Amino acid sequence: MNKIKSFFSSLIKKDSTKTVVTSLWCALLGLILGFFILLVINPSNAAYGMSSVLGNYLIFSNPGDRLNYFGQTLAKTAPLIAMSLSILVSYKAGLFNLGASGQYSIAVLVICFLGVGANWPWYVVMIIAMIAAAIWSAITGLLKAFFNVNEVISGIMLNWIALYLVNGLLSNSSSVWDGAHSESIMITSEYNSFIPSIGLDKLFAGNSIVGLGMILILIVVIIIFILLKKTTVGYELKATGLNSDAARYAGISKVKSILIATAISGALAGLSASLSLQNGFTSWRLSSVPPEIGFQGISSAFLGGLHPIGVIFSSYFIMHITEGGSMITDLGFSPETASIMTSVIIYLSGFVFFIKEAMRKFEIKSELNKLSRNKENKV
Amino acid sequence: MTTLNNMEETTYAIEMLGITKKFGNILANDHIDIRLQKGHILALCGENGAGKSTIMSILFGLYAPDEGIIKKEGVEVKITNPNDATNLNIGMVHQHFKLVDTFTVLQNIVLGDETLKEFRGDNLNIVKKSLNYLNKHIFKILDYKKAREDINKIINQYDLQVDLDKKIKDISVEMQQKVEIIKMLYRKNDILIFDEPTAVLTEQEIQNFLKVMNNLKKEGKSIIFISHKLNEIFAVSDQITVIRKGKYIDTLKTSETTKEEISALMMGRKLKDFKEKSKKTPKEEVLRVEHLTMIDPFSKKKVVNDISFNVRKGEIVTLAGIDGNGQQEVIYGITGIKKARDGVILLDKKDISSYSIREKIKAGISHIPEDRHKHGLILDYSIYENTVLDRYYEKEFSKCLFLNEKNIKKYADELIDKYDVRSSGDGNTIVRSMSGGNQQKIIVGREIERNQDLLIAVQPTRGLDVGAIEGIHNLLLEQREEDKAILLVSLELDQVFTLSDRILVMYEGEIVGEFTPEKVNKKTLGLYMSGAKKDEVNAIKEGANE
Repeated sequence: MNKIKSFFSSLIKKDSTKTVVTSLWCALLGLILGFFILLVINPSNAAYGMSSVLGNYLIFSNPGDRLNYFGQTLAKTAPLIAMSLSILVSYKAGLFNLGASGQYSIAVLVICFLGVGANWPWYVVMIIAMIAAAIWSAITGLLKAFFNVNEVISGIMLNWIALYLVNGLLSNSSSVWDGAHSESIMITSEYNSFIPSIGLDKLFAGNSIVGLGMILILIVVIIIFILLKKTTVGYELKATGLNSDAARYAGISKVKSILIATAISGALAGLSASLSLQNGFTSWRLSSVPPEIGFQGISSAFLGGLHPIGVIFSSYFIMHITEGGSMITDLGFSPETASIMTSVIIYLSGFVFFIKEAMRKFEIKSELNKLSRNKENKV
Repeated sequence: MTTLNNMEETTYAIEMLGITKKFGNILANDHIDIRLQKGHILALCGENGAGKSTIMSILFGLYAPDEGIIKKEGVEVKITNPNDATNLNIGMVHQHFKLVDTFTVLQNIVLGDETLKEFRGDNLNIVKKSLNYLNKHIFKILDYKKAREDINKIINQYDLQVDLDKKIKDISVEMQQKVEIIKMLYRKNDILIFDEPTAVLTEQEIQNFLKVMNNLKKEGKSIIFISHKLNEIFAVSDQITVIRKGKYIDTLKTSETTKEEISALMMGRKLKDFKEKSKKTPKEEVLRVEHLTMIDPFSKKKVVNDISFNVRKGEIVTLAGIDGNGQQEVIYGITGIKKARDGVILLDKKDISSYSIREKIKAGISHIPEDRHKHGLILDYSIYENTVLDRYYEKEFSKCLFLNEKNIKKYADELIDKYDVRSSGDGNTIVRSMSGGNQQKIIVGREIERNQDLLIAVQPTRGLDVGAIEGIHNLLLEQREEDKAILLVSLELDQVFTLSDRILVMYEGEIVGEFTPEKVNKKTLGLYMSGAKKDEVNAIKEGANE
């Protein structure tokens, strides 16, 4: 009994456990605030709305529908995981990749022309999209490494350049543009560039978007985990991120580290685009804001405790809420309400470090209180 | 030897009784008692990791003690954060100064205790009153004039001359320390804590600092002085409290004890004599620096001006001088941290001037940098990871792209053993949690174990205690015995004299004199270091040219 107790108490004291606990707190805080917003906007339907956000696919009574929508949520989680990894890798090297949306957009451009227009095999399209996004991202890296331009600023600027570049090029080429819906032509299972289902769709009630992508992303998670933990490249990246001066004194090239980190993180953002578009559940719409997923990735990376494995769960949570949120429009909530509410939850989730700090202070305080109480008892 | 414990009637400015603090399984402070008498200077001494800084951090409110009470003038007080300490008029000068580099001296002093502009006088009309109110709550315009007057009063009273309008980054370390002292006095602190204040000062500056301490004492301030330099402790303190490995050992009156007694109490054993330097003739040349010139990118000044020297196998060559006379830049130039404007660097007769840092390391340079936190270690990496910081890519430690963790651990464990690196756990311990001496041992061990021809050591004993200094001195001398070429940069004259075979004195970016320690005394060296002899040297040079 005591053994179990001491095991748990040592588990609680572990830093990783603390991160998990704070992540849960963040998620809870976001949910409470989201519920509050529903209450303000439409009190009578709020409780039902909340249960549908939380329940997502569970609100369907038909098991087939449940499975179908569960599969959909899972498949949509894959690109978010890729995006979170993109943020995570650059963060480990001391960079903040706010340009992920732009890298995503550039990959979309490649996928539309090569995947829809030329209909090349899916893996070729995926790899070229990743390379294109990596090169785009490396521009930020070059600016940072050689001219010390802040990566956040150049990243945001490149987001807008990429956005209008993609808008312009896609909407003007009829071979990839569906003018009637004013969006790029969706890649469906008839295309060579569609990521195959390899039979997984049958497990999820014939939902064709469930497929190889999900397995691919798990492999990528493991690769990134190993890269950061076990390789010399990861060692260099983290050393540069933690103390770039000492890394330089030890002969680690800062330029090389920055370029590698930005390129990898760009490639991952490109993978994210590939997993969305080539899985056929989204396309490029004319838009005046950079793709939202680049910013969701930040929340997801932090909520996942900046750990490759943690990111799997945080991405699923965020996607679960987003999908659930999209269902409440049927309950008399406007689509805007749904997105406000899910955004609140998602962005509060990014507060992990903030809450961790608050928890630490609280711990110190309670320790002090205990101390003074002990003193009083003695007196 | 009289202990002070039975002098109950004395008034104490501060009493810390039975202070206990645990970090994980380590007992940093174990029932420590500190009693500071009003208007006295109490020296707190002990080796590195003895718990000196911890107990002062507790007094300053940075840590909460697990047990024990603090009394100010006999009344028990609670100090849970630095603001509480400030409100109790306790001030502290940390080992690493807490100043804003880009602010002026004046701004730094008022920072956190700003006086707002205010209309004063008897007949304040409604406009002035409301302006005062608005300024106090909304605009918050500062009254630099009044602050300047107040600070000038302090400067004159305690003889602490500084230029209030210079920026911190432009003034010397000694001046920065004065700013820290004025900061405390400006806040009307009467209990002053100095954490190793002389570690960064030169010989002359130390003497000045001791005078300042005496001035402060004369004006009725009570001072706690953390140090392990016995000369200074005996020069100024009234009492000495010794702690060892977190335990309270004793408190003695300075006038009634001896240096030998204190150092024995500190170490729990007698100080072994430093190893004597053996007679040795240096062998072939390892490093040759020719006409090295370095330019400061901001001021465009020549910080190193046409310097040439060499280092041979089996000798220790020391760059001596007052801090900031270009010694650091010479090292930057040799190691490639900064680009040289001009000059050639030859290592084993090979021109390495244009090599990158990594290539220079590979070519055979070991470097113990001055600032271990900023340049020597990745503090959030473990001991294992830090021991291979400049050689993780070697065949022994990596295969293809993968780190060979087994070999790294094996190598690091050997290094931990050999250099007696102590931490709260095994090699997975994060370096940030370790004491300065042990952190330095990792760097020194790492650089020596690379077994290179040239070892560059910049202030390798900075901020370390007697025991650790002894260890590092002996390691350097051992390297000399093994025919390594050693280039040392040191600000401490004692160190310069015990270790060097040749002393190169630097002043304003130039080498103004070369000596062997047997043929020069401290006073002459000091004169060269402060530039007093430079004109003479120049005159001789010019004479030779003609």
